[in-house]
Amino acid sequence: MKRVALAVLAALAFVAACTPAKKKPDEIVFWEFWPADVITPLVRQFEAENPGKHVRIEQLTWDNGRDKITAAVAAGQPPDLCELGSTYMPRFLASGALSDWSAGVADLRDSLRGWELCKVGDAIYGMPWVLGTRALFYNKTLFAKAHLDSTKPPETWDELYAACARIQQLGHGVHGYGVSLNDRQKLFKKFMPFAWGNGGEILSAGLDSSRFDSPQNVEALEFYLKLRKVGMLGLQDALDQEFKEGRLGLQISGAWLLKQIPKEAPGLRYGVALVPKPAMDRGEHASFAGGEVLVSFTGSKRKEDALRLARFLVRPANALALASSAQSVQPANVGADTAAFYRERPDQQVMIRQFATARFTPNHVEWDAIEQVIEEEVEQALYDRKSARRAVADASARIDELVGKK
Amino acid sequence: MRAYSRATAWALLSPWVLAFAVFGLYPFAFSLGASLTDYSPIRAGATRFVGLANYAQACTSREFWNALANTGWFVLGSIPFTTLAALGLALAVQPSFRGRTPFRVGFFLPSVVSVVVLSLVFKGLYAPGGSLDALLGALHLPAPAWLQDPRTALPAIMAMDVWSASGYYMIIFLAGLESIPRDLYDAARLDGAGAWARLTTITLPLLRPTLAFVLVVNTIRSLQIFAEVFVMTRGGPLGRTTTVVYYLYEQAFSRFHLGYASAVAWLLFAISLLLAVVQMRAVNAREQAVR
Amino acid sequence: MSAAFEPVRIEAPPPPWGRSLRRWLWLGPLLFTMLLPFAWMIALSLAPHAGNSFSKALRGPWDLSQYRALFAGTNVGRYLLNSAIVATLVVACNVATAAMAGWVLGRRRVPAERFWTLGVVATLMVPKQALMIPLYLVMARLHLIDTYASLVLPFAVDAFGIFLVRQFVTQLPIELEEAARVDGATDWGIFRKIILPLLQPVLAVVAIQSFLANWNSFLFPLVFVDSDRLRTLPVGLALLSQTEHSVDWGFLMAGSTLASLPVLAVFVVFQRRILSGLLAGADK
Repeated sequence: MKRVALAVLAALAFVAACTPAKKKPDEIVFWEFWPADVITPLVRQFEAENPGKHVRIEQLTWDNGRDKITAAVAAGQPPDLCELGSTYMPRFLASGALSDWSAGVADLRDSLRGWELCKVGDAIYGMPWVLGTRALFYNKTLFAKAHLDSTKPPETWDELYAACARIQQLGHGVHGYGVSLNDRQKLFKKFMPFAWGNGGEILSAGLDSSRFDSPQNVEALEFYLKLRKVGMLGLQDALDQEFKEGRLGLQISGAWLLKQIPKEAPGLRYGVALVPKPAMDRGEHASFAGGEVLVSFTGSKRKEDALRLARFLVRPANALALASSAQSVQPANVGADTAAFYRERPDQQVMIRQFATARFTPNHVEWDAIEQVIEEEVEQALYDRKSARRAVADASARIDELVGKK
Repeated sequence: MRAYSRATAWALLSPWVLAFAVFGLYPFAFSLGASLTDYSPIRAGATRFVGLANYAQACTSREFWNALANTGWFVLGSIPFTTLAALGLALAVQPSFRGRTPFRVGFFLPSVVSVVVLSLVFKGLYAPGGSLDALLGALHLPAPAWLQDPRTALPAIMAMDVWSASGYYMIIFLAGLESIPRDLYDAARLDGAGAWARLTTITLPLLRPTLAFVLVVNTIRSLQIFAEVFVMTRGGPLGRTTTVVYYLYEQAFSRFHLGYASAVAWLLFAISLLLAVVQMRAVNAREQAVR
Repeated sequence: MSAAFEPVRIEAPPPPWGRSLRRWLWLGPLLFTMLLPFAWMIALSLAPHAGNSFSKALRGPWDLSQYRALFAGTNVGRYLLNSAIVATLVVACNVATAAMAGWVLGRRRVPAERFWTLGVVATLMVPKQALMIPLYLVMARLHLIDTYASLVLPFAVDAFGIFLVRQFVTQLPIELEEAARVDGATDWGIFRKIILPLLQPVLAVVAIQSFLANWNSFLFPLVFVDSDRLRTLPVGLALLSQTEHSVDWGFLMAGSTLASLPVLAVFVVFQRRILSGLLAGADK
């Protein structure tokens, strides 16, 4: 018995030791977050067009992928090409770890949107691949039940409030608006559209002081708080679930619902519209914009090839392949909405139209801390610990501290 | 009487020493060193020595004290329950009875699933309109939004921790119970001692080393609670579930302030060490008193 | 002569039904509440249409599609194998080193033993999130990134097991060892023939705990291993069931249920060894 156990152990150790995991020296290492079955065909096509070049794809998890990238960069062994989310970009841009692509992408400047995500001054350190935004989702069935015109989603704050009030009155577990609680890095994207749409800002143009304490932002927060009366509070996945089950009238959410609803709630009759603006004669249909950026690192071994692979991946057909599979993002290419895929999907088209008035977040190195400050103060107001005015003022003071720091 | 060989002793200890030298020493030294600098894992430039500035920053940081307070509540609130539950379960499933094995397996089952998946399951259970609220509603009990209410979020996570850890420490107590010689109980029974007396005069005293182990290890693990918070609440609501390790993780991997995060980690180390020494002294002191 | 020192297993007569049933009465409901979250998991794995709603999942219909999907066209089989190889190696090392170091510390065989024990325990006190990057640097320098060794070597010696064995050893009566020494046995002989059998219950716990910790380990396997070929089960499952903003509940629950089975099997096999402690007569 003991001999058998020892033999098994020895065999395992042998197998383990013998399995080679050496990278082929001429492989381009690409780290990305999307499922292998979407990315692999694209990469194979790249290999076909570039004989002699091989690409090794390694998939990362959304939650912890950044940790792995960080460790690899710290150890001086970063991948050649890497996908980074727009939330991570400010710190990476400030770190000096990204490779300068200003020359290599000059000819693509006009054909892609979202360069703000990768720019520091005039230098460009990446390439936008796919973008995402937030828009207003509304339930047409509930609209009909509340005697609202389901072909005319609300365009202004007053219309939004009125529609939510009517739906809230339907009772029986139905709510009007889905107010987001502090879901880290998600609340910001659901509240700021109101603030931006009202003309509010976060930082000054030079990114050196806070502009957050403004009557426009206070107004926006007061409106957001008012929506609680005609809606329900919840975290993103709870609100999404309520919407999918047909119990939520309206909420600001993202394009991932466009993929989930047909699968999980095929009978749901819903529509997508631009985020409402303060009034017909002022403000904008503002929203949040972010996305995924392709970068290479100063420590990467095959920077030239990485750039070539990146240029390949951002081609309209390829970015579209990813966007049409994921559906939660849209290609960064200008004119993407003319593709057949989008022509057939009016809801996706709304997303793309929303990009025209969507805001990218400022590339300040402390950006994620600033976002957290805003979310925390809005949360204080949501839990009635502070008034809207106080919350906005406190947030602004804390932001000033952050941007005043080195 | 020097009846054993020092050489053999060192030889037997050597694998640990070797493993520590290769995989332990460098990371510990690095992180201790990093705590005295402004090291950032992704920054291309040079790292500056800042002395104790990171430690000072932590001690004056509202967020750090909030995280420490939350962690303290967590430890104080869950350790007694987990320890008592584990001991109780072990005592219940240790004697021979039919169906003992299925019960042992059943109580151990919560520990088997990965903590990330378990947290996802509980996130769904605790959701407003989720199964727990449905059950409470059916019993006409109040059903708060467990993870969204600042007062109930941390207790909800604590309850999940007690639920999943009891079975795990139960098997450790089981091993401890099995090592108590039977004839002690037989002698006590002959002397007329009842079940409670046997428990308090034989079982508990002889379980001291096991109890010390469970307390120390459970405390260390609870002080480092992270995955549940990451999956279920991300530190909210209103920062009530931000634990020290969650705070440290954000600083290290979101803000890339690994120097500062390392200082926080070593502050936690100091607290863990202090608590462990106190716990072992307390358990052993009673041992001396018994002798 | 040495056979007299081995613990004697005395098989107890089967317990009376009355006592058993009484125990079931008050342990049963407790067990039921403890198992409810499992019922949740399994129900979700059998009802992919229900998303993450327990009530919808209970109403059915049920099917095994998610379990089939686990293996169809995915590398889950490979991930299982990798997890099994790594976990077995780690458990073997942990048990061996815990027995060795635990005995030495428990019998105070080295000077300043308290200091050593505290040192061993202290290695558990620094959170791994703080150590992850320097450990990665070590692995990178040793060219161990993306190898099985990176998943085994750093975890081959575990302070938890050493501490547990040490505590257990402090309770063991010293007479057996002393008697054997009087008989002329060597240290190594005592360790193999007397100590190891006596340590069976606690080594069984070390095996169970070590297997469990390693099987479900996520952070380090994620960071140290890049290629799909070497991926372990928790990381593989996470990658297969993730999308940017949601989780494929049915698939993840099916995978997690499947992942629990080996740990349960290890537990069932080893927990019987916890029973083989000192029984009446062996220590006189």
